[in-house]
Amino acid sequence: MRANVWSGRNTVQVENVPDPKVLNERDAIVKISSTAICGSDLHLYDGYIPTMKRGDILGHEFMGEVVETGRRVEKLTVGDRVVVPFPIACGNCWSCKHELYSLCENSNPNAGIAEKLFGHPTCGIFGYSHITGGYAGGQAEYARVPFADVGPFKIEDDLTDEQVLFLSDIFPTGYMGADFCDIKGGESIAVFGAGPVGQFAIASAVMLGAEQVIAIDQYDYRLAMARNKAGATDIVDFSKDADIVEQLKLLTGGRGPDAVIDAVGMEAAHGHGALHAADRVKQATRSETDRGHALRDAILACRPGGIVSIIGVYGGLMDKFPMGALMNKGLTIRTGQCHVHRYIKPLYERVRNGDIDPSFVVTHRLGLDLAPDAYETFKHKQDECVKVVLKP
Amino acid sequence: MPTPPRPIDSTLHGVTDYTAGTLLITAFPKLAGIEGTRSAGQIRRAGAIHAAYSTITDYPLGIVKLIPYKAHLAIDAIGALSLAATPFVTGQWKKGRDQWLPHVGLCLFELASLALSDPTQKGDFHGDVDTVRRANMEDPHQKIHNGGPALATARA
Amino acid sequence: MSARTAITVNRDRDEVQRLWSEPGTRPDHIADLDATVTFKEAPGDRGTEIHVDLGPGGRLDAVTKRFTGADPLAKVKDDLRRFKQLVETGEISRSDSTPEGERAERKLGQRPAQPLDDSELQKAGVA
Repeated sequence: MRANVWSGRNTVQVENVPDPKVLNERDAIVKISSTAICGSDLHLYDGYIPTMKRGDILGHEFMGEVVETGRRVEKLTVGDRVVVPFPIACGNCWSCKHELYSLCENSNPNAGIAEKLFGHPTCGIFGYSHITGGYAGGQAEYARVPFADVGPFKIEDDLTDEQVLFLSDIFPTGYMGADFCDIKGGESIAVFGAGPVGQFAIASAVMLGAEQVIAIDQYDYRLAMARNKAGATDIVDFSKDADIVEQLKLLTGGRGPDAVIDAVGMEAAHGHGALHAADRVKQATRSETDRGHALRDAILACRPGGIVSIIGVYGGLMDKFPMGALMNKGLTIRTGQCHVHRYIKPLYERVRNGDIDPSFVVTHRLGLDLAPDAYETFKHKQDECVKVVLKP
Repeated sequence: MPTPPRPIDSTLHGVTDYTAGTLLITAFPKLAGIEGTRSAGQIRRAGAIHAAYSTITDYPLGIVKLIPYKAHLAIDAIGALSLAATPFVTGQWKKGRDQWLPHVGLCLFELASLALSDPTQKGDFHGDVDTVRRANMEDPHQKIHNGGPALATARA
Repeated sequence: MSARTAITVNRDRDEVQRLWSEPGTRPDHIADLDATVTFKEAPGDRGTEIHVDLGPGGRLDAVTKRFTGADPLAKVKDDLRRFKQLVETGEISRSDSTPEGERAERKLGQRPAQPLDDSELQKAGVA
C-alpha cells in the first residue's frame, strides 16, 4: 500500500509499504477513506520529537471502513464505517476505567522509553514516534487498529467524512480544552493559537456558554476564520502589537480572562525579540526542547485564581517557566493528551443535531500523494492553509 | 540522523554582526585583558571591518544592498579563520596565551553562529504551493470568508 | 545494591496470584531468576501490587548489564508489563515497530513504524 513516511527532518515521502495485518485477536484493519495532517505532526516533521525512524508512517487522524477483524472483536463488523481515536486504549486498566484513556497503562509496547522521559509511560498513539509505541500511522491506505472494540467509533448516518473525521482528535481536543475551563456561563476565555485545535477550542467555549471568547494569533486569515466561523467575539493579532498580556487586560476591563487555553504547544512562534531568538537557538542545540512563549504569556495574562488549560503539545523541557506567577496568582493547570473516547459520542451527537459543522476548518483537500507539498504548505502557512485533509 | 535546524535568520544574523562588531571595537579588548597590546588592535580592526561590510550587505539590516548574503557569510568564515591565524603568522602567539586565545575564541564563536545561520533567507520552505493550489478540491479563501458561522445560534 | 521494582495489576489478589503461576500467563523470565516476589493489595480499587526483589547483586554486574541493554531490572519490568497486559486485556501489546511486544534489548535500533512483510512476520513469530 502507499503510505506517507517520515524520511528525516523536514522530509516526508509517499512510498510503497506492506499492507498491515492483524497481529492480535482484538485488532481490526481499517481501509482509510480520509485522513488529516495535524499541527502536532509538524513537531515530528521539524525533528523536535526524538525516536523517529526513517520509514515511520505518520498520521493519527483517520477514518474509514473496517475490512478485517481479529477473532475476539465483537463490536465491529466488516463494512462498518468508523472514526478512530488517536490514543490507543485497552479499556481494562485502571486509567481506562476512570475515563483517562490517553493514560492507558497497557497500550504502549515501548513503555520503557516513555518511562525514562516522563517518569511513567503513557498510552500508545498512532504514528507518533517510538516513544508512544512505534505504531504505524493513518496517512496511508490501510491501518491496523488495536483494541478495536474500545477505540473505533461507528458512524451510522450520512454525514460526510469531513464532518466526522475531526472527532478522531482535534474537535475533542479543543473541546477538552474548553471543558477544562469549568465554564458555567458568562466567562471570558482567551484561546492562544487559532490553528485547527484553537478553532475548535473557540467554538467549544462558545457552545459551553462563555460570553467572551478571544482568539490570539499572528495570521490574519486564521483570525478571520476564528471570527467568521468559530464564533470568537474578539481577536488579538500579535503581529501588530506584541504585548498580548496588555491587550487581553484591555479586552477584559483590566481583570484578565477567567481562563486561558494554550492551543499552541512547543513550537510557539511569538517571542519578545531576544528571548525568542535565545529560545530558538537553545531549541536548535537541543538544550531546551520546548519553546514556551505562548504558555508564559498565557500564565501572565490569566486572571488571579483562573484556569490555565494546556492542550498544545509539549515534549520535553522548557526554560524560564513563570512559576512565581503561577503560584502567587493561585492558578489551576489542567492539561493532557485528549481523552478522545470520553468525548466522541457527545460531540458526534452535537454534529448530528446541527449544533456545529466541523468541516469549517478544512481549507485543503488533496490526494495522499501530495503529502510532501501539503506538509510544507501547512507548516509555512501558505495559501491560507488551516487544515489539510488527505484522500488515499 | 536529521540535519540540525538553522534558526538564525538573516535579520538575527545582522543583529549579531553589528553587536559583535561594536563590541569588538569597544569593550572586548578591555574585558579580555589585552588592552594596549598588538592583539587589541587586530581585534578592533576585525570588528570594524565586520561592521563595515555588514552595512553593504543585501539583507534586512544592510544600508546599501550590495554584497549578496551568501557572499557575506563566506566573508564571515574567511574573516574568522584569518583572525584565528593572525597570531601564528605574526609569531606573537609565543608571547603568551592572551596573544592568541581571544582570536581563536572569536573564530570559534563566529563559526558556531554560521553553523546555525540559514543562508537561503527564506527559511527551509521547499514546497510547491502552485501544485497544491491546483490540486486543492477546496477554496481556502471562500472557506474562510464566505458562508455563515459553523455554529448554530443555539447554545449548550 | 538491591534491585527492586513493582507494578500494579487491576485485578483481585487471588486472581493475580493464580495467573502468576498459570502456564499461559506465567512470567518466565522472573520465574527463572532467584527473585523474591510478593503480592499486596493496592489501596482503594486499584487492584494488586506485585513487588519483585532481585536481591543484592554485584555492583559492576548491574552497571555493565545496563550498558548492554540487558539490565536485569529492565527485563523484569518487561515481564511485569507483559503479565499486566495479558491479565488485564488478554493480549500482549504489539506495534509495528515492536511486533514481539516490549523488549528491553530492542529499545535501540527498532524497526520503523510500518507494517511487516510476510518474512518479517514469520521471523517475529506472529504469522
